[in-house]
Amino acid sequence: MSAKAIEMNGVRKAFRFFTLEDVSLDLEHGQIMGLVGPNGAGKSTTIRLLMGLLTADAGSIRLLGHDMPHSQAAAKADVGFVSDDMKLLPQATLAWHMDFVASIYPGWDAAYAAKLLKRFGLHAGQTAKSLSTGEQVKALLLLALARRPRLLVLDEPTSGLDPVARHELLTEFMDVLRDDSRSILFSSHNTLDVERISDRITFIDRGRVVASDNKEDFLERWRTLRLRLPDGAPDWQLPEIVHRDIEGPNVTLTIDGFSDDFLARLGAPIQEVHRMSLEEVFVATVMHSRQMQEARP
Amino acid sequence: MNLLTRKLIAKELYLYRWLLVGVTGAGLASLLPAASGEFGFNVGFLVWLTAIIALGVMLALFGVATERKERSLLFILSLPLSPGDYVRAKLLGLLACFVLPWAALSAGAVGLVLAMPGIADGLLPYTVLLCVFLLMNFSVVLCAVLHVSSEAGMGGVIVLTNMSVSLFMMGIGRIPELGAHMGKPEPVWNTAFWLLLAAELVIALVALALPLLIAARRRDVEKV
Repeated sequence: MSAKAIEMNGVRKAFRFFTLEDVSLDLEHGQIMGLVGPNGAGKSTTIRLLMGLLTADAGSIRLLGHDMPHSQAAAKADVGFVSDDMKLLPQATLAWHMDFVASIYPGWDAAYAAKLLKRFGLHAGQTAKSLSTGEQVKALLLLALARRPRLLVLDEPTSGLDPVARHELLTEFMDVLRDDSRSILFSSHNTLDVERISDRITFIDRGRVVASDNKEDFLERWRTLRLRLPDGAPDWQLPEIVHRDIEGPNVTLTIDGFSDDFLARLGAPIQEVHRMSLEEVFVATVMHSRQMQEARP
Repeated sequence: MNLLTRKLIAKELYLYRWLLVGVTGAGLASLLPAASGEFGFNVGFLVWLTAIIALGVMLALFGVATERKERSLLFILSLPLSPGDYVRAKLLGLLACFVLPWAALSAGAVGLVLAMPGIADGLLPYTVLLCVFLLMNFSVVLCAVLHVSSEAGMGGVIVLTNMSVSLFMMGIGRIPELGAHMGKPEPVWNTAFWLLLAAELVIALVALALPLLIAARRRDVEKV
């Protein structure tokens, strides 16, 4: 088994109006990575490059140890890929799709497929064109999960689902990871889903990876501090401060790299320290990254 | 041929089974009035010709363009196959879907010419050339839809290939080496016939090989 489920190094892909620039990602076996970014950030492009559907202009991609896109047939034998804009063959029934996929993947688990069919409230006799958007996603996930892949690559898998279905699905993902050799990469702009199940999180914006770390480290590093400074805020030159909001004597600082050492260097009385949600961390990271980009000559 | 390619070919035959049965049934049924006299022959021939042309157009549109447009292509591409595997399976699958009814309808047309006393057997070379032309025409349409992603481009190719059938039917009879023998009681298999047949087969083979050389080697598979 290769050392990592996913290895992307310095990947670049240019389109007419968008460029994915210098993307590097690593995912260890047995981990879930959430790829989070606003619409148009490059999440789907990254995933399509990873799956060999697009060819990078520069950089290298390895999927389960296979060079992509050259060895994509071998790599995809162990990958379950579902995208929110993927559809089943409209004229065929779900039963036909299950038989079709089962005949291709030796690891197909018919009992698990039957269980998922029931859990997702699907009917095998339904044609794909009669399925709602949410049912299409569930059916595609059933087909991907029941083949018991070593890696699940999911592009916005929960975007068309209601909260109950999303909950069921996320529970199912956790179930997949009971076998610690299996991994999941999933993209979303829903930070709640990502926060719930991910071990690692990568933020992507405007075609660049702006941050990538373990979820706990993200949540541990970021804080908002509230200070009351009647004499005005000093001009701190501390790299940890990514945003400052000053309203008279009330100062709010957003910090990336919170620590006792930082507090000592700040040298100001703190009224409140707040942990940030992943959504707040995501927004702060993206906004800071954009400011840095715009500040460059 | 690997397992997945065989499965994908079987998939095309399964998905379009009713289209194939319908077209074969309609085409063979059209041969019945064709045996009843000149008017019936004209009507029957028109239905027979329309059935084959429509089959080719529908297979190309549903099998390639609609699959791409309705995003089920992404599902197929998620399977363990390379771009080359996909293009090869798609070509072979849709070719099988076309060839089965085409072979039945072509055999029916040849049988009609041979069996009907009112139709000169000299028409046989023309019939064979027309049948192979329709196969060639489908190969060109299939090649085009695998390379052209715009609907306007595909529409243009379909219109042009349909027009080419009319031009072929008009033009072939004007070739003296062929036209002069069409009313004769015995078929004449001369050099002109064999050259035209070879040309049709070569064009069909080139049209079927091109996607394997170009579409299958595209850097971005989703555009296949």
